[in-house]
Amino acid sequence: MQQEIKSRVVGVDISIKRTTYAIVDVRGNIHASDHFPTTDYTTANDFITALSEKIITMTEANGGYEQIRSIGVSSPSANFLTGCIENAANLPWKGIIPLGAMLRDRMGIAVAVGNDAHVSALGEYSYGCAHGMNNFIIVSLGHGIGSCIFSNGKVHFGADGFAGEIGHACVEHNGRECGCGRYGCLEAYCAEKGIIKTAQEMLEQSDEPSLMRSLDRISPKGIAECCEQGDKMAIEVYRKTGEILGLAVANYASILDPEAVIFTGGISNAGKWLFDPAYESFEAHVFHNIRGNVKFLRSTISDRERDVLGASALAWGIKEYSLFK
Amino acid sequence: MIISSTKTKVVGVNIGYEEINYAIVDVRGKILAESSFPMPTDQDINGFIALLCDGITNLILENDSYENIRSIGISVPSGNFTTGSIVNSLSLPWKGEIPLAAMLRDRLGLAVAVGNNAHVRAIGESTYGCAHGMNDFIVITLGHGFGSCMFSNGHVHMGNNGFAGEIGHCCVEPEGRLCRCGRRGCLETYCASDGIVLTARELMASTDKPSLLRDLEELTPKTIHECCERGDELAIEVYNKTGFVLGLGLANYASIANPEAIIITGGISKAGKWLYEPTNASFEEHVFHNIADRVKIMRSSLPDNERDVLGASALAWNVKEYSLFK
Repeated sequence: MQQEIKSRVVGVDISIKRTTYAIVDVRGNIHASDHFPTTDYTTANDFITALSEKIITMTEANGGYEQIRSIGVSSPSANFLTGCIENAANLPWKGIIPLGAMLRDRMGIAVAVGNDAHVSALGEYSYGCAHGMNNFIIVSLGHGIGSCIFSNGKVHFGADGFAGEIGHACVEHNGRECGCGRYGCLEAYCAEKGIIKTAQEMLEQSDEPSLMRSLDRISPKGIAECCEQGDKMAIEVYRKTGEILGLAVANYASILDPEAVIFTGGISNAGKWLFDPAYESFEAHVFHNIRGNVKFLRSTISDRERDVLGASALAWGIKEYSLFK
Repeated sequence: MIISSTKTKVVGVNIGYEEINYAIVDVRGKILAESSFPMPTDQDINGFIALLCDGITNLILENDSYENIRSIGISVPSGNFTTGSIVNSLSLPWKGEIPLAAMLRDRLGLAVAVGNNAHVRAIGESTYGCAHGMNDFIVITLGHGFGSCMFSNGHVHMGNNGFAGEIGHCCVEPEGRLCRCGRRGCLETYCASDGIVLTARELMASTDKPSLLRDLEELTPKTIHECCERGDELAIEVYNKTGFVLGLGLANYASIANPEAIIITGGISKAGKWLYEPTNASFEEHVFHNIADRVKIMRSSLPDNERDVLGASALAWNVKEYSLFK
C-alpha cells in the first residue's frame, strides 16, 4: 500500500520589522503567503502563539494542515544546533528563546530554526542562483554585513555557529568605530551607516556642488539616485565603498576559493555604482590563481522571498514528526 | 564469500623546497621505513619524477612488497588535490602546471593523491595530531610562505578550484610591500621568512640604536629569534611587529571561519613567546567579539620531521584504491 507523502512545508521569516510566513511546495512554489509586524508582540510567548494561529488559519484555508510536513524558521541570531534565538541584539525578546521547541509544542509537527544568513544561503542554494554550487559565499549588505559560507555543499557553521562575520573583519586598524565596540570593521565602511558616513565626510571636506547636498536625508538609496543623475561626488562615495568591499571580499575569496560571491540586501540595489569598483578592487587583490574564476552575482530572488524559500528548504532538512497520525 | 585481505600500508611523500622525504606508514600512523634525497639542482621535471619513482620503488622493495601498498599520498607546495597537479608554484623549480599524480601513477602503477602542503598538514593534524576530534579548525603553515587549510564539518574545505586557504595572499596593506605573486601588501610579505627579515632590515635602517642584529652574519627568523632570547630590544620589536600583523590576519580569518582552534606549524612557529604574545594580543583586539577568548591558538604536537609524511600518508587513504599489481 502506498502511503500519502506530505508535499508542502511552511517557511517563516522573522525579520526585525515584519514576519512573513508562506506555504511552499517541493519545487519552491509559494501557494499562500502573508505577513504581520514582528514588533506587535512584546513577549516571545505571545508572538509564537499568534504565529501558530496564523499558520493554522492559512493552511486550513489552503489545502489543509495535514498536508504540511514541517516548519522552517529563519530568524536573526538563531542557532540551528539548539533551535533557539540567542541574545538577539535587534529583536524585542531578550535572552535565549527556545523557539523551535515552543513552536513544535503548539503545532505538533517538526520545526527547524536557522540563522537568517545561513537560511539565505540555503534559499539561494535550493531555489536561486547558487543551485548546483558546492562552494560559494553569500554576502548580505544592509544595516549590517553578514555572510554565509557553503563548503562541500553544506553550510559552514563554525565551531560555535558564528561563522561568516565578515562585517566585523578589520579593514583598517584603528579605523572607524563600529557598533560592536571595535575599530575599523568592514561594516563601519560598507553597510548603511558606513556609506552615509563616507558621504557626509566627503561633503564636509569639499565645497564642490553635489546633488547629495539637496537630499532631505542622506541614504544609500538617495546616494545611488544621485549617481544615476551623474553626480560626481555620489559616484565617488560608491567608488570608495566598492574599493573597500572588493578588498575585503578578495581576502575572503583567497581563503575560501568560492565558485561565486552572491550579494543580497538593500545596499546591493546600488548596482553598477557599487559593483563595478568592487569587482575591479576584487580582481586587483584576490589570489592570482583564482582571479577570473569567481563569479560576482546579485541574487536573483527578491529579498522577501529568499528567506521564506530558504526557511522552507530548511524545513525539508529535518526529520518528519507529527502528533496527527 | 572469501574475505580478501586489505592493504594496510601506504607511502607518504613530502616534497619540500630543499629535501624530499618519503616513508611507508601503516594504518595507525606508524612509520615503518623512511628515506630522503635532496632537491635536484636542475629544473627538469622528468628527471625529478624518475628520481622520486626510483626512491619510492627501492624503499618498498627493500622493506616490504608492492602488493602491500595501498596508495601514495604526496604533500607539495601549490599542489591541487582536485586535479592532482602542481599549479604555478612560486618557489619550486618547475613552472606552469605539472600533472604530478598522473605522471607518478603511470610509472608506479598505484593510486596517487596529491595535496597542497597546507591541506596535507591539516589532514595530518586531524588524523594523527592535536586536531583529532575537531570538526572545524584551521592549520597555518608559516615558513618560507604562508599557507593555511580550513576544516569545515570534518572535511577539508578545498574550495571550488582546490585553491582555498591562501591567507598568505590576503591583502593587509593596499599599497604595501611587493609580494612574489606580483601584488602588494600580502600578509606573506610581513609574516613569512623574507618578510620578517625585511622588517628587521627596515627597523635597523630607521634607527641608530645598537643591536645584536647588526652583528649577525646572516639575518634569518632563527637568528633574530636568538637575539630575542638574549634580550635584544630591536629583535623583540621585529617579532612584535610581525605578531601584530599576524594577529590581525588570523583574527579576520577566525571571524569568518569561527574555528575551534588555529594550529600554527612551520619554521616561524618556533619563535615561541616572542611571536605568540604579540600575535595573541592583536588577535584578541581584532577578532569578532562573540568568538574572542573561544579560539585556541596552539602549536602542532606532531614532530617536525614526521608531520608532513604522516599527513601525506593520511591523504593517501583518501584516494580510491587502484593497482596494476593484483
